[in-house]
Amino acid sequence: MQSRRRSWFWPVTRFVEFARCARLHRALIALALAAGFAATPAPALEESNSPPTGAWEFLRTQFYGDREIGVVDEEFMRLDAPANTPDPAATPLTLHFGKGAVGNIKQVRLIIDNNPLPLASTIDLGKDVPVDEIDLRVRVDRFTSARAIAETNDGRLEMRSAWIKASGGCSAPPSAADGGTMGEIRFRPSPDAKSLQVSIRHPNHSGFQIDPKTGDAIPPHYVSHMRLSSNGKTLVDVDSGISLSENPTLRIVSDQPFAAPLTLDAEDSKQGHYSATWTGAAAAGQPTAADGTH
Amino acid sequence: MRLARAHGCAIGACLLLLVAGATRANPEPPALDVDEAAPGVFVHMGKLLPLDAPGHDDIANIGFVVGSRCIAVIDTGGSPRIGRALRAAVKKHSTLPICYVIDTHVHVDHVLGNIAFKDDKPEFVGHAALAEAINRSRSYFLEHYAGDFDAPPNANQIVAPDKLVATTLQLDLGGRRLELRAWPKAHTDCDLTVLVQDAGVLWTGDLLFRERVPALDGSAKGWLAAIDELARTKVKIIVPGHGPIARDSASAWLPERNYLQTLIDGVREEIAAGKSIEDAMSHVGAAEKANWKLWDSANARNVSRVYQELEWE
Repeated sequence: MQSRRRSWFWPVTRFVEFARCARLHRALIALALAAGFAATPAPALEESNSPPTGAWEFLRTQFYGDREIGVVDEEFMRLDAPANTPDPAATPLTLHFGKGAVGNIKQVRLIIDNNPLPLASTIDLGKDVPVDEIDLRVRVDRFTSARAIAETNDGRLEMRSAWIKASGGCSAPPSAADGGTMGEIRFRPSPDAKSLQVSIRHPNHSGFQIDPKTGDAIPPHYVSHMRLSSNGKTLVDVDSGISLSENPTLRIVSDQPFAAPLTLDAEDSKQGHYSATWTGAAAAGQPTAADGTH
Repeated sequence: MRLARAHGCAIGACLLLLVAGATRANPEPPALDVDEAAPGVFVHMGKLLPLDAPGHDDIANIGFVVGSRCIAVIDTGGSPRIGRALRAAVKKHSTLPICYVIDTHVHVDHVLGNIAFKDDKPEFVGHAALAEAINRSRSYFLEHYAGDFDAPPNANQIVAPDKLVATTLQLDLGGRRLELRAWPKAHTDCDLTVLVQDAGVLWTGDLLFRERVPALDGSAKGWLAAIDELARTKVKIIVPGHGPIARDSASAWLPERNYLQTLIDGVREEIAAGKSIEDAMSHVGAAEKANWKLWDSANARNVSRVYQELEWE
């Protein structure tokens, strides 16, 4: 085991490598270094279905200290991602919760080990919310392990992970859906209202995309927080970062229909505030008029 | 910095020259095979290979048009080496100067050979958005296609256009005119078509894929609109960006049109039913699979792109 142990500054070295390869924005370097210098030596743990890669050993210590993390079977939780993502800038990540997990999870962290900033999202779930699936779209920069670490209401930590082969997701230029009115919010329920997708029109600049006019990196500008609530009660609360795709999208699925009204409140990294409420009035499947305030 | 001088210099200086002027130090490859699709219109047919297979720098249809005064090259291949091989083919067929190098769009398999023509001092011609698209792509090309550059890879080998086309442009080659047309976002955001007026040859760039599954990097709706307009253009010969030359306009565009329409219809249904992008990627377009080659290289990505485009309509 000793041979697997890496020096304490190894994560820092990795971040600097990323910085060189992908023209990391100066602020991100500062952040990564600050985090790196605060680190303590990472334990060289083995996880049966997720060999440690990239920043994981480091982040594990940061977030969870030496708490035990179980590796659960898919009956409890599953993380689905395309093994070879066709569209690295918009890679679907799907979290499935099994019977033992629904209503019993208070937080999930999504970590993409080899992304420049690996913590893609921290998702807090409202108490007794019967969500059995959460979908996000993320940028994946290179071959990586993605992992979901769930904390249960009784304080256990459980992890599932998936390998993703990808390249260039963080630096990819805007898609055909570029533009529109920043902050426009769309709710798309399924006809039975058991799934609901909510999207915010936002470039979600990662800090790694190139401005074609200057050749320099476009500064990061991303949705940092999304909260979906029903009459003031939180269903899902997501802290996010540069790893979310352009036009950030959150999709939740339940075995029961979601009831209107549902409100999305979002903030971005430049203090932009966006809010809209789904009133359930529109025909199922059609985007509902977002009563938004920007 | 010419090759002849490099032969005579000391080793240290030679290394410097190799670093500074790598393209000069590379031997002339054999001339590419070209077909004379119409009098004075020469096409090299790209190979049907995946983008990660050996030989992937030679997958696009590229070529040149010879006038009485000078020559226009249309697309230059996916490496400086392919560019030099195309230039060798030009020199085999004509001693006239090369006055234009036209890039039909930003993709690596069409533009990375530009550097091979630099010393001919042509005007490099492209869509008004091409220069920016190339700027945006420099680091991507260097990172993902480093092996296709002359060693050592560097951004100076990527040549951007200096003559930009916002709508249309006529180029006179002496005795024959080329009509260039810039399109709104379609296959990419910088598609340009070239019509050789006297011969009725339409060079489509990647607005037309035949046999090879189309790859969407622009707008599916924009692409359909471009197809509908191009299919009405009366021409005798159509040179697609990938796949065999066609002679009948109506039938040439139909398979690609059907494919894009299938994706648009399929994705709209998925969105209306509240299905996720992942669901859509797993099955939309399946009915078209038998009609295309290298399907897995592009279809799921295309569906993802179409979904992201249509969820905001």
